[in-house]
Amino acid sequence: MNNILEVNSVNKIFPIRKMFKKPLDLKALSDINFTLGSNETLGIVGESGCGKSTLAKVLTKLESPTSGDIELLKIKYPDYNPKDFHSHIQMVFQDPYQSLNPRKKAFDIIADPLRINTDKSEAEIKELVYAMMKRVGLREEFALRYPHHFSGGQRQRLGIARALMLRPKVLILDEPVSALDVSIQAQVLNLLLELQQEFSLSYLFISHDLSVVQHISDRILVMYLGRVVEYGSRDEIFNNPKHPYTQILLDSAPKIGLKSIATKNDVAPGEAPSALYLPKGCAFAPRCPKKTAHCEESIPPLEDKYNRMVACFNA
Amino acid sequence: MKQFLKDLFFELKKNRGAMIGIVIILISLIIAITAPVIAPHNPTLVNSESLRLPPSFSPGGSKDFFLGTDDLGRDLLSRLIYGSQVSLSVGFAVVVLSLITGTFLGVIAGFYGGFLDKSIMRLTDLIMSLPSILFAIVIVAVLGPGIVNAIVAVSIVAIPNFVRIIRAQVMVEKNRQYVSAAKLFGASNFRIMFIEILPNCMAPLIVQASLGFSDGILNVAALGFLGLGAQAPMSEWGTMLSDARSYIESSPWMVTLPGLCILVVVLSFNLLGDGLRDALDPRLKKQN
Repeated sequence: MNNILEVNSVNKIFPIRKMFKKPLDLKALSDINFTLGSNETLGIVGESGCGKSTLAKVLTKLESPTSGDIELLKIKYPDYNPKDFHSHIQMVFQDPYQSLNPRKKAFDIIADPLRINTDKSEAEIKELVYAMMKRVGLREEFALRYPHHFSGGQRQRLGIARALMLRPKVLILDEPVSALDVSIQAQVLNLLLELQQEFSLSYLFISHDLSVVQHISDRILVMYLGRVVEYGSRDEIFNNPKHPYTQILLDSAPKIGLKSIATKNDVAPGEAPSALYLPKGCAFAPRCPKKTAHCEESIPPLEDKYNRMVACFNA
Repeated sequence: MKQFLKDLFFELKKNRGAMIGIVIILISLIIAITAPVIAPHNPTLVNSESLRLPPSFSPGGSKDFFLGTDDLGRDLLSRLIYGSQVSLSVGFAVVVLSLITGTFLGVIAGFYGGFLDKSIMRLTDLIMSLPSILFAIVIVAVLGPGIVNAIVAVSIVAIPNFVRIIRAQVMVEKNRQYVSAAKLFGASNFRIMFIEILPNCMAPLIVQASLGFSDGILNVAALGFLGLGAQAPMSEWGTMLSDARSYIESSPWMVTLPGLCILVVVLSFNLLGDGLRDALDPRLKKQN
């Protein structure tokens, strides 16, 4: 499989400088490596604050990485001119209520990417916008309405239409369905799967909803406090998780049909440490049921074990 | 936008003060526009035989001069009617000047932050730390007296209000996801600031503009009273007040009437401004 997106040892550090206080570094991303193939969906899971959204920002150039490099279609990020970059990678945002400008009509929301990045005439743009609206399931007469006239699902369709207007190769989906009703979630997910085939898209699907990730992903990347802890195919990870964090994450997800919800043993004790004061060794060690003295001393590297990559000494 | 105005008017109709304000503003607007038609006399015409005549309805008044005459025998009613032209256009000019510069500076300060923000904000602090009329006097003293310079001075004094309001609003809006989305499809900073963000900051701007109108009228009238604004023979309410000051005991109507005009117009803009604030910002609405 040829890789569309290659991420090589990316770090992102937010320096925190306050007067009269010790300078601190917030390590949002540490040594992130992964690839995304064409037509593939990579699911990124992890609890809040683990760096998922920072990763999305770095990949869309809203933030620049502190170190490491990213290649999109074999071209490094700093070498891109903005127009090419924006037409290769786009993003669908989590909150459809915040990601659409309340003072812009639906038509303009979808048309603006074309107006800014292409020289198409207004007539061509009109045609393309209506075609795209039809494709994502929005009726033509919605074009002149404002975002507050739409339901959450319709807004998210609008957001998807906007992201697809420049025909990107990679679409970053930052929790695209978590703000929607369950009944609407399925519709939007199915729409996303159809669009993936039709436009041969690669998806980077960020979510904390494991059942959604399992449904849509080909491969999974599990993050914990800015690090990749496990990375491999969906079936390997869901059926046979090796990292203790992945195991606990999967066990604690509520399942239909089981009487007991997660018992005390399945839940990691305590809270994730602050990304400002990371432990010396493995970041998960303070909560890990399998930790040994070694875990608190050094950080486990991401190794190829059991048909996947896993960062644990005891896996 | 049409819908927005419709909603706004619907909210405003519930507020009696705002409606009174709108009616008075409309009346004074009509008076100002039709001044050449409705004014009974030339406002600068001196009648040496009818000096300081009282209003026609009081003893000693003349039928020719409904509200009496001033110390040079000019018809007071005509002068007040023409004065509304000056005051309204002065208010408008002040709002336009301070709104445009204030909005531009505020958007830039809020959007870019950092050094640019700090320098702009310290500059506004500097202006705000002085009493506004005092600062306006200083500016007019430098530029020289006259109605245009008075407008410039009062506009400069009004800029900080707009800068602060817009800056605060932009700082909130720029972190919203629709701004990230606009960056993602390659919108320029200029486009993000003035096409994406600014339309979402309109509500407080409209309120401040209507309040700025009354501040502008009041401050220019005050400069006129001090002899730094409109110069004779232009009929401006503030200047009329100062001319009439020496006759406050012998001919009280000369000082009362222009003062009343200023009061009514300024009050009506304040009423409208408060009404707009209530209509546009539900959070500020009274709880009862």
